[in-house]
Amino acid sequence: MAQDTIEGINPTRMELLNLKNREKLAVKGHSLLKEKRDALIMEFFEILDRVKGSREKTEKKLKEAYTNLTDAQVIMGDLSVQKAALSVKESVNVKIESRSIMGVIVPVVDSQIDSKTVLTRGYGFSDTSAKLDEAAKKFEESVALIIELGEIEKTIYLLAAEIESTKRRVNALEHIMIPKIKNTVKSIEMRLQEMERETFVQLKMIKSAIDANS
Amino acid sequence: MKSSVAVIGDIDTVTGFKLGGVKKGYIANNNEEAESALTELINNEISIIIITEKIADKIREHINKKVGSNVLPMIIEIPDKSGSSQREADPMSELIKRVIGVEMIK
Repeated sequence: MAQDTIEGINPTRMELLNLKNREKLAVKGHSLLKEKRDALIMEFFEILDRVKGSREKTEKKLKEAYTNLTDAQVIMGDLSVQKAALSVKESVNVKIESRSIMGVIVPVVDSQIDSKTVLTRGYGFSDTSAKLDEAAKKFEESVALIIELGEIEKTIYLLAAEIESTKRRVNALEHIMIPKIKNTVKSIEMRLQEMERETFVQLKMIKSAIDANS
Repeated sequence: MKSSVAVIGDIDTVTGFKLGGVKKGYIANNNEEAESALTELINNEISIIIITEKIADKIREHINKKVGSNVLPMIIEIPDKSGSSQREADPMSELIKRVIGVEMIK
């Protein structure tokens, strides 16, 4: 493995020059990619801090919401709850922009959730219970949390994918490409030196032959 | 860009989110329904899709195929009313482990 060379390259000076340029480029690319990887990982850690609390908070809020919903269903009956739910107006308004972290496009969600009062939700009072109001409120709050959580999780997924591919490229350059090029350069240099020595010996022999004849 | 939110889940989840103001609710009782709902939502360019963990687990392959590493839509998995399913491997911490190489406290 360590002695791998690039196949199909002639040991000429031209190729040697080309290879040396390639090596320079590879080393430069490697260090750039390494920097990119480190920066991405820094970003990743920063976002990880945000996600930690977010999921628990959302799940807790949702659990409360489900409890209230079940209570409302017990008091009012499934069908009445569904009927009431149908008359609630759409209240979630999201705008999605994007932002770039080191070339990774991640979504930034700007969500506006109209917080409603009991009056503006749209269902009647006479046949609904207070638990239903509670449930509706909790669900509204949950939606906001869920959207925020979604943004963070998506960012993490995208960053993770980018980190993985960058890592792979860094490793490929570091452990395969650069050693291969180095080995090839070395072998071409050795071959050229060998040829030089051969020519030198030939010249010496010719010279001594000429000297012996004259 | 303006967009909207939709829910795929069992009947109670959908009712609950309707109460919370998310009007696009798709009730999915089996895998086919969930898959076709998801496909429809993606085709309609709904950018935030809330889905229950149980359904998401069942149609995981379909989700991965549809979403992959695209920026949108974002699919958010939430527990349904029976609480979060105790999964052996949380996909998030699994991913972090793979990327960073060490387990993070989570």
